[in-house]
Amino acid sequence: MSLLKSILLRNRFTILLATLSLYMLVLVMEGALTGREARVIDFENPFFDLNIRDFEDFQDSQRNEDDKDFLTDESTIL
Amino acid sequence: MNRLASIPFVALLWREVLENRTLFIWAPVMLALVLFVFAAWLISMAPNDQVSISIQYLSEIFDGLSPLEIAPILMILAVPFMVILYVCALIYLLGALYQDRKDLSVLFWQSMPISNATTVLSKVVTVAAVAPFFSVTVLLVFYTLALLCLTLLGVAYEVQVAGLGYLFLAALTSLILVYLSAFTATLWLMPTVGWLLLFSAFARRAPFLWAAGVFILIGFLEDFLFGSQYLANWVESRANPNQYLIYNLSDVTERMFSYDMLFGVLVGSILLLGAIFMRRFID
Repeated sequence: MSLLKSILLRNRFTILLATLSLYMLVLVMEGALTGREARVIDFENPFFDLNIRDFEDFQDSQRNEDDKDFLTDESTIL
Repeated sequence: MNRLASIPFVALLWREVLENRTLFIWAPVMLALVLFVFAAWLISMAPNDQVSISIQYLSEIFDGLSPLEIAPILMILAVPFMVILYVCALIYLLGALYQDRKDLSVLFWQSMPISNATTVLSKVVTVAAVAPFFSVTVLLVFYTLALLCLTLLGVAYEVQVAGLGYLFLAALTSLILVYLSAFTATLWLMPTVGWLLLFSAFARRAPFLWAAGVFILIGFLEDFLFGSQYLANWVESRANPNQYLIYNLSDVTERMFSYDMLFGVLVGSILLLGAIFMRRFID
């Protein structure tokens, strides 16, 4: 225990590394256990709808369309 | 006050206020002054009948309304002060454990009978409780002066001003909500507070670049090495503006003891622990 302590508290960089490792470990473990996903930013108001997931859906649909176009072009060339 | 100042922790808080009065006291005072002058300029530019009608309208709207119901709406007026508070808190936290190493006053403070843990804790309490107190006090003076001027103008124009009393009560209630919001927001942002203090204690120069750079690097590394995005997800899950505001006094207990809040405090405590150990090393 004292050896571990002396290694971890040797200098500034070991303390930083140990702290960040523990920080990441706790975050990742909690994220994995609770299945944490990003809560989308959703502003509810009577004037407009803003939902970050909409942008992701939009991006996905654009990507699918791009892929379709690419495949059509490839088949035309062939 | 002298008896209070003899308690080491209170003395540490007092030291923080004295050393950072520009950030915590003069910044909100200057903002209030600018807003007050701007409002006075607007009123002086408007025609007299429009000013009297506006004051009467304001008085009639708020007449007889419950301050508790109006207070959340009046919190909007405090938004510029809260923005200034958070900007000042960011500057303060980045320099809190860096500045005294830079000017070597850390040697003096470490010769005093105060532990590193107490010193770091005093920085956190300063940001969470002391700095919002000054912002709210400045807001209180600002509201009082503004409503006093409106009342005097209303009397001069011979307009009914009884409703302005209800407006003042609602403004006072909103200040309690603003203070509680600032306090709980700091607890909610405890991982950020811990992160900034850790790099403030670590960096030999440019603590902001270290704090921002390592944060971005860790996010990329997690994605690159493990293909997961827990860090980004976690940050995003705590970025909803509603999580930072208290609209009702009954919300406080529920918010303070929620799972997300307590987990955030735990993660922040890990980083604060790192900052406390880091303080052993003085360049």
